[in-house]
Order: sequence, then structure tokens, then C-alpha cells
Amino acid sequence: MQPGEKAVSNAFNTQPRAQEEWSWLLATWLFLGGSGSGLFLLSQILQLPAQFAALAWLLVLLGATTLLLELGNPLRAWRTIFRPATSWLSRGVFFVFFFIVSGFFFVGPTFGVPWLSWLSGSLLASILGWVAGVCALMIILYPGFFFLSTSRAIPFWNTPLLPLLFVSYAALGGTAVVLVASPYLALAVPAQIDWLALALTAITAVMIAIYLLIMHRAGHSAGESVRLLHRAPLGWIFWIGVVGAGLLLPLLVLAFAPAAAALAGAGILIGSLLFRYCVLKAGVYVAPALVVMAPDLSRLNRTSSDFAREYAAMAAQSASRPR
Amino acid sequence: MQHPNDGSVFRSSFGAHDEPIKNAFEDAPKGRRTMAATSDSGSHGKVKWGVAVDLKRCTGCQACTMACKLENGTPPGVFWTRVLEKEEGTFPLAYKVFMPLRCNHCSDPPCVPVCPTGASYVREKDNLVLIDQDQCIGCHSCVVACPYQVRFLPASDKGYYDDQTPYENASYKRWQAGTAQKCTLCVHRIDQGLNPACVETCPTRALIFGDLNDPQSEISMLIRQRSHFQPRAELGTDPCVFYLT
Repeated sequence: MQPGEKAVSNAFNTQPRAQEEWSWLLATWLFLGGSGSGLFLLSQILQLPAQFAALAWLLVLLGATTLLLELGNPLRAWRTIFRPATSWLSRGVFFVFFFIVSGFFFVGPTFGVPWLSWLSGSLLASILGWVAGVCALMIILYPGFFFLSTSRAIPFWNTPLLPLLFVSYAALGGTAVVLVASPYLALAVPAQIDWLALALTAITAVMIAIYLLIMHRAGHSAGESVRLLHRAPLGWIFWIGVVGAGLLLPLLVLAFAPAAAALAGAGILIGSLLFRYCVLKAGVYVAPALVVMAPDLSRLNRTSSDFAREYAAMAAQSASRPR
Repeated sequence: MQHPNDGSVFRSSFGAHDEPIKNAFEDAPKGRRTMAATSDSGSHGKVKWGVAVDLKRCTGCQACTMACKLENGTPPGVFWTRVLEKEEGTFPLAYKVFMPLRCNHCSDPPCVPVCPTGASYVREKDNLVLIDQDQCIGCHSCVVACPYQVRFLPASDKGYYDDQTPYENASYKRWQAGTAQKCTLCVHRIDQGLNPACVETCPTRALIFGDLNDPQSEISMLIRQRSHFQPRAELGTDPCVFYLT
């Protein structure tokens, strides 16, 4: 297949088109950034062992790398510092940068970075921790605002429910990382984490249902987005991945077999990656405003007197036209 | 490498093929300074270029699509201007409706504020929405933000064949792979007082180019006289492309 052949086949008709620019790479960033930041906030609030903060920092760092890969010109990425006044992407880069820096100084002392040992236990360290926490919150929120701001033409993203969904998925992802990682790292976590995960899964499921219902009723392009989520290629991913593995399985496991919480955590992580992918792929543009002009048959059987009248009118009009 | 089409394709667009690219348009016919040049003198103050599309005249021949590709050397799959088609009606009265689509050079462009680097900008002089490709990082934001789907971000500068033809080799130097690109309304031609290539080539004269700020320009008069609409004006972009119906 020639490069761009698919784009050509869609370019000249008026079928509803979903955006094709963003795909797995951005979904991976949204997943890693959201889950990592959620985990960081969770470890700050619940006072989890320091290993989780370090894991969160690593996740965000990994996500930032995929974000760089997404660019057409990664070497120019530093230029994003120039437009924080208008662009949410630019602001997001600031949040990620400050999170990585302050997070490094926060988790560094605990893991024996030698020239950071003076920081451990000091007031500065806890301040850095909260700075990183605020940045983490903004890393969770900014993609939602980013989609809101870029999506005048994509009604599926043009809703304040999206930032809320990102928040709930970030909290869910952070909890899931704890569920998955705590057996392997042999770390003590509060027993209530199972119940937290259960509650967050239920809340997220309800929010997704509300989101899809609203979008379905919004009609046209937003309704087309919902239909895309039900149709063959994306429908499998949405129903099996997001709903089945990401919501139903964890709900059942956490409610009836809490011993297998790690399985629930894995399901949640898979589902939350696929959720980001589905949201991106279902971004359908508003349709182009095509005007339907039926052929004017009344002009086909004109008589010579009709023509004479028309020519006279045209002559009068062109004579009176201002030059 | 010599391509069989080398001579004809090349000379029709650029003149002698060993000239540098920046001189490519100096061979353009000086005598045909049409709508662009006349409205320059008539407007007071700032110019605001616009295009009127006469939907009653458009036959959907895609000549503007091809003229744009020849003029700007866009990569495969990228059409800075294109004509959408749709079938309407039923058998005895089946017909097609067309909608030529290009960058609308909106007065309130959604693609400019989302740009994180300022590579995407509105030219103060004449309200054209342009891209500084040396600054663009290729983040796709503007491509997704554009409601008209007329921004493109080719990942590579691969041409239609395995190797670049001499034409592609020369014309692909005008844009960079991995950065956003879009219709410039042929800014290099406008600056010489010429019409954009699509307007110049339209066989039915369905495209009218001119200064929207000049009340005496042909486009302003047509917009006053004819019923018209701006594409998706409800999105608040205030496009400078008017469709005459």
C-alpha cells in the first residue's frame, strides 16, 4: 500500500471521519502519566511505602519518553516552553518537567543517591513532595483540558466529563498499580486498598455509562463516536478490554475473591490503557457543511420570451452595478 | 537519476531545473496580475484575503486539487485543497453535490492557540494563517484542532515511488517532514500580486480570490449580492472562505 492511501480514500467523501493523528503512543502516555501521577498522589495521601512514589516517578518518566516519540521532530521539543499562555500542551510540558525534577529530589534520598542524603527527612523534602503532588494532579487534569481546548470540532471530547473521567481513571490506575505491585515488592499496604479499588471501579463504570449516554443523545458526530465504540474494530477493544477486563472483571474479583486482587489490578491497568485508546480513536469530527442543491428543472423548458426577459434583467443589473 | 518526465513536468513549474528553489517563481508571467493586484490598491489599511466558492459553478473536476499539488509539491495523500463529493437524489434525478475545501484562514483560527511553540501564526499583514516549519515540533495538536481537516503532518518525505523523482526532489524542499503543513493560499504568489494556483486554474471560474476588506473587490461584491454561508460558522472560527449558493 502506498503511504497515505487510506487517507486518500477518506479524503474526498463526506463520511464521518474520526481523527487519525493520535493513537497508541499518546494513549500510552495518557495511561502512564495518569496512572503514575495517580499512584504518586495516592502514596502521598495514604502514606504508602516510598517504593510506590519511586515507581510512580518511573512511570511518568517512561510516559514522557513515549510523549517525545509521538512528536514529528523530537529534537525541537524544548520549544514547547514558549506558549504557556494559550496552549495546554505547553502547560502540560511544564507540569511534567517540574514533576520529574521535584519528584527526583523527593524520592532520591530514600534510595541512597549519595549527594542527596542531606535532603532525607528535612522540611524541604516534604515541600518537594507536595510540589510534585500538585504537578501530578495537573498531569492528571491537563489532558482533559487539552482535549477540551482543541476540540471545537470533536464533540466527543468537548465535554467537562472527560477531565473527570481522567481523574477517576488516574485514581483507579494508581490503586491498581498498588494491587499488582505490592505482592511482588512484598510491601505492607493498608487493607482498605481493596475496598478503595472496588469503589473506584464502580464509580468509573457509572461515569463511563453517563458519558456514553450523554454523547449518544447529543447526536450527530458525538453519536457517531458512540456508534464507533459499538462497531467491529473498536467495539471489540471497548467491550472486551475496557468494560470486560477493565471494569466487570475487577468488580467481580474484588467483591467475591479478594485474594486474587492482583488479577483485578492487572485487568484495571489493561482496561485503563484501552480506555484512553478508545477515547482517542472515537474522536469524530463534525461533518463538513455540504449544501444540497437540487438541479433546477424549471429552467430547462424556457421559451424564447423567457430568455428575452432574462437577458433584459441581466443587462439592467449589470448597468446599475457600481464600478 | 533521470526521470523520463523530467523535462516537461519540471519546466512547466519551475523553468530551468538547475535554478535554486527560491527563484522558482520569478518566471511567473508578469502580465497576469489579476484580482490580487487590483484589490491591493483599492483597500484601505489591512488586507484580508478571502476566497469565494461559487457552488453553482463548481463541477467537481478537481483541477484545483491538482493545481495545488503541482504548485506546492505536497506529499502523497496530502491535499491542501480538495473537492468533497456526495451523491444525492434517487435514480431518475440522481446528482452529485460538491464542496471545495481548503484552509479557511479563519479570523479566529482554532489551530493557532493550541500550538505549543508559536510555529502556527496569523500573519499580521493580511490575516493569513501560516506555519513556521522551522519551529514546528510535529505535536499534531493543530491537525486535530482544525474543524475542516485541512492541516496535514506527513511523517516522511517519501514520494509516490521508491526514489524521489526530480520533481519531488525539488518541490519537497519547500516543506519539512514531521512538521505540520497546510494551504498558504499560495502566499509566494500573492506576494507577487498573483492569484493562488487553484483560483488561477479553475475552468469554470468557481473560485474567486480577493480582499474582503475592500468593498469594491469582486469577492466583496459577490458576497453582498449572492446568498452565501461560511463553513461551520457556528464553531466561532469566522472563516474567510465564503460559499455562494
